Amino acid sequence: MSIKTILCIEDDRFIGEMYVRSFKKAGYDVDWVVDGNDGLIAARNKTYDVILLDIMLPERRGTDILDALRGGKEDLIPKTYVVVLTNFQQDDESRIAMQKHADAYLIKAEITPKKLVSIIEKLEDK
Amino acid sequence: MEIKKPSGLANQFWPRFIKNNLIFVILIQIFISAIIGSALILTSALSINSLALWGIIGGLLVVSLTSNILVILSATKPTRDLMAVIVNLSGEKSDLKLPNPNTAKNDRTGFRDALQTIYELSSKKSQETPKGTENTTPQQSTVTDALDMTACGLIALDDKRKVIYNNKSAPVHVSNNGEKIIDLIFNGNNTLEAWLDTCEENSVHNEKVWIRIPDRLPNEEGRRFFDVIASYEKGSTVETVLNLVDRTSSYIVDEENLDFIAFAAHELRGPITVIRGYLDVLEDELTGVLKDDQPELFHRLVVSSNRLSGYIDNILNTSRYDRRHLKINLVEDKIDEIYDTISDDMKLRAGAQNRLLTVDFPPDLPSIAADRASIGEVLGNLIDNAIKYSNEGGSVSVSAKANGDFVDISVTDNGIGMPQSVVSQLFQKFYRSHRSRETVAGTGIGLYISKAIVESHGGTISVRSEDGRGSIFTISLPIYATVADKLKTGDNSNEGLISEGNGWIKNHSMYRS
Repeated sequence: MSIKTILCIEDDRFIGEMYVRSFKKAGYDVDWVVDGNDGLIAARNKTYDVILLDIMLPERRGTDILDALRGGKEDLIPKTYVVVLTNFQQDDESRIAMQKHADAYLIKAEITPKKLVSIIEKLEDK
Repeated sequence: MEIKKPSGLANQFWPRFIKNNLIFVILIQIFISAIIGSALILTSALSINSLALWGIIGGLLVVSLTSNILVILSATKPTRDLMAVIVNLSGEKSDLKLPNPNTAKNDRTGFRDALQTIYELSSKKSQETPKGTENTTPQQSTVTDALDMTACGLIALDDKRKVIYNNKSAPVHVSNNGEKIIDLIFNGNNTLEAWLDTCEENSVHNEKVWIRIPDRLPNEEGRRFFDVIASYEKGSTVETVLNLVDRTSSYIVDEENLDFIAFAAHELRGPITVIRGYLDVLEDELTGVLKDDQPELFHRLVVSSNRLSGYIDNILNTSRYDRRHLKINLVEDKIDEIYDTISDDMKLRAGAQNRLLTVDFPPDLPSIAADRASIGEVLGNLIDNAIKYSNEGGSVSVSAKANGDFVDISVTDNGIGMPQSVVSQLFQKFYRSHRSRETVAGTGIGLYISKAIVESHGGTISVRSEDGRGSIFTISLPIYATVADKLKTGDNSNEGLISEGNGWIKNHSMYRS
């Protein structure tokens, strides 16, 4: 499956812009929303190839968004890779719960845009 | 009932006493017979060759020996009976048969009353001494009162490691089944139990000090911190004594600082993400644009932001470790591959500070059981220290060799080194040597968390240093083959699960929390 479209749910303006810029340069289509509600709506309305999901978001937490999309009986986004990106130190239980429904779980401070792009490319190879 | 005695002597008294006396009697009788025989010969009453002489001597010997031995046994019988009773009451094992006080003879002679008195005295005494920690004499109760008044804890353990005494300040609680439990949360493998294990194997007498040991987890009410001084004496009724100095007031400040720092560290990660991100992006985009010393200055930005990121990880991991939340995911890995993950960063750091960094890993090293990100962090800390504490133009070398079941990885510098007195305190949290406080910036937790991480791997960290000459830090990590079975059955204490890599993309911290 070739990855073209990315939804970035990220409330930090600098970080959001940075990812958008890098992915656009790398040739992807990126939509960027800054709050959790908008993020969930966007994810339901359009099928993205990848969702970059922050955890600490206004309106609705990343954990809730992931739960709404994949926590039920039916996976609402079966064709989408979900990459959780956070700087927040979750406790074990919540982290493991999120990992179950996500395709990757990364610490933002350790991931530069270049690395993130290469990780998305690796997902493509799966 | 307790009777103070050198161990195992009361029951040895009687056999020794009776044996000595019998030997004495036999010798005396032989001596007397010899004298009588000699007298008969000297007075020419009998010749030395006459059968009568030997008949008389032999007869005399047999008769007097038999009668004397019978007299001795009969005369010492009350003593024997008393000893049997005393040994029995003292709780020692004995071959002596206990006397029956109620025989007609004992009744007639009054020995029955004597035995009765001893039994009564003994039962009276044990009634006065209820089991456990209560005391019988005024002196003892003064001592326990005094101990209960101090802020220092005192705990006494017997050879089964059961708490047989604790004063009021000691962090001890009684479990549901009535057993006393010591509430001390030791760090990693450096526990009281582990120390007692080695003591029981190797020591007759031993002492050890732990510092900054809490009795509860963070966020629990009334958390206290102790410096714990343990003394071990093999075979003593009180085998282990723990002295606990309550240092809560001085340590709690650091703990609160650390809580705050951990909170702040999360916040710091946001800006760092942007700084590192754009530096990475710009590095490509500015190639060929930067002139003169600008590329060098740009490198310094990268190095500094990477270091900052490393320090934040140290702080967060320390906070997790202290909360007992640091988990290590051990998988088969190669040390050179682990180093590759930090290699670029280390090269940059050494270059920016004008140090010569040489890395030499033999190609045939066995693979180790490691958590890649954690060991990368440890190596980063050690190399960062080596750079910090060496001089401009100095060299830092990283090497590795197999050593038994372990692979030793050493970071050597020829920098300022340190005296022995400093070495022992080096791995304590917030410890910074007197000199480094003035000259080098740092958090004082790098080595603390490095030690914690290495020990969570089942490894060790050590240092050799010479003041003014430099230091060698060595970490020993278990060879994978030696621990693979343990890891697969999952009974490793750090929940070392073999990562199957089930479609996960792993980066830093992912498997640690």
